Amino acid sequence: MTSAPDRTLEPAALWRLLLWSSPAFPVGAFSHAHGLEWSVEAGEVSDAASLLAWMEDLLQHGSGWSDAVFLAHAHRAAVARDGKALAAIASLSAAFAPSLERQVEQLAQGAAFARALAAAWPAIAEALPPPERLTYAVAFGAAAGAAGIALDNALTAHLQAFAGMVVSAAVRLVPLGQSDGLRVLAALERSVAALTASAGEAAIEDAGGACFRADIASMAHETQYTRLFRT
Amino acid sequence: MSFARRGALTEIARFEQQGSLRARLPRPERGALAGAVVLNTAGGIASGDRFSTSVTWREGAEATVSAAAAERVYRARDDDRPARVDATLEIGPDALAEWLPQETILFDGARLDRSLSVSLGRGASMLLVEAVVFGRTARGERMLHGQFRDRIDIHREGTLVHADRIRLEGSVAAILDRAAVARGGAAIASIIWAGEGGEIVRDRLREAFAREAREGVEAGASLRDGLLLSRIVAADGAALRRMVVAGLGALRQNRPLPRVWQC
Repeated sequence: MTSAPDRTLEPAALWRLLLWSSPAFPVGAFSHAHGLEWSVEAGEVSDAASLLAWMEDLLQHGSGWSDAVFLAHAHRAAVARDGKALAAIASLSAAFAPSLERQVEQLAQGAAFARALAAAWPAIAEALPPPERLTYAVAFGAAAGAAGIALDNALTAHLQAFAGMVVSAAVRLVPLGQSDGLRVLAALERSVAALTASAGEAAIEDAGGACFRADIASMAHETQYTRLFRT
Repeated sequence: MSFARRGALTEIARFEQQGSLRARLPRPERGALAGAVVLNTAGGIASGDRFSTSVTWREGAEATVSAAAAERVYRARDDDRPARVDATLEIGPDALAEWLPQETILFDGARLDRSLSVSLGRGASMLLVEAVVFGRTARGERMLHGQFRDRIDIHREGTLVHADRIRLEGSVAAILDRAAVARGGAAIASIIWAGEGGEIVRDRLREAFAREAREGVEAGASLRDGLLLSRIVAADGAALRRMVVAGLGALRQNRPLPRVWQC
């Protein structure tokens, strides 16, 4: 477990990873904002600096961290072909949603990811847990494990997809210039690298966090008067 | 301890206690449920301490378990093992269970691992509160360092439906200062409810939260999988308690709160 990670991907594995984590992959990421629409409405996130701080919180103390831990465990279970362990991780990950919309965000993307995989990579799709209550993080981790994609690479790619989703929502909502959004993503590099390293070694008991106000934002979004985003 | 239904009444059916954790069984006030009040005769929790409580509500039983006082967790040395506080609630079919301990106050430097494991039977209703204050805020203390891990698991008829894991470790105050965490708040609570009439009850809770919202305290609620989940973040213990009491009032209609909550 502690040997130096192999970050060199076979071209076929890299091809899959790039496709699966692309904003064009049909998981519906464009419709989700992780509660940020409320945080913008409430004035919490109003510029690039406050967006960067909010994203750092999610990655270090919130859903970014927990999802990375679930992804890592799902990846290992898929590599080991341990369906029982994978089912237990899937169940815990699905139970983690602090609100209805955060559950929708995970389960809608998880189900869409599984459908897309079944359509184009049916052999890999067979490694996924059942589609009911399948979170995006667990689906992505299990697929990457079954597809020969190294854990480090899968974690970084998934975090990039998550950060890209929230930042692109913020660019529309605040609104921010495209360059501001890109600068936030560039500034997250160090956090993502640290998170990839620590989540890869974390025990399943280490999932968890403290982003209470992000949870409240997603609850408040349910009753927000005008909404561009589903979550 | 366990509660059982006898005709129209709920009675205590089994009761054991040992160590410094005790329970009293006061006669219920008019309109209130039967119940127990838990009391830590040691006065507080030190590192390495271990407390566990197990409560069963048998089929149809209706009872409230509360605590006589806020629980205090003292400063630990850095190499101390965290204190452990575990509770297991078995809520039988058609039972009504209320778990209403008062807040846990973590002194600066405290280390606590806490867990609450709940199993809900068919048709069971419940109301849970878990409230934590980071530092003795009434005297201006904040919890600068320490460790708090909280784990809540809820199973319904054998399926895990909710898992909440709070992890706050190291420079606790600096983490609480962050915008998506608590933006400088020093007290948090979760209220979790299950029962009949989910959306109506959710809206009632949201209205109570909105009425009580002011500078220094905020709250949200959401219904999923038949569970009403809520979070409260407050500047200090006093503001937290006002919001928790408002939320409990909305969820318990006109039933009086246990006397220990009235202050």
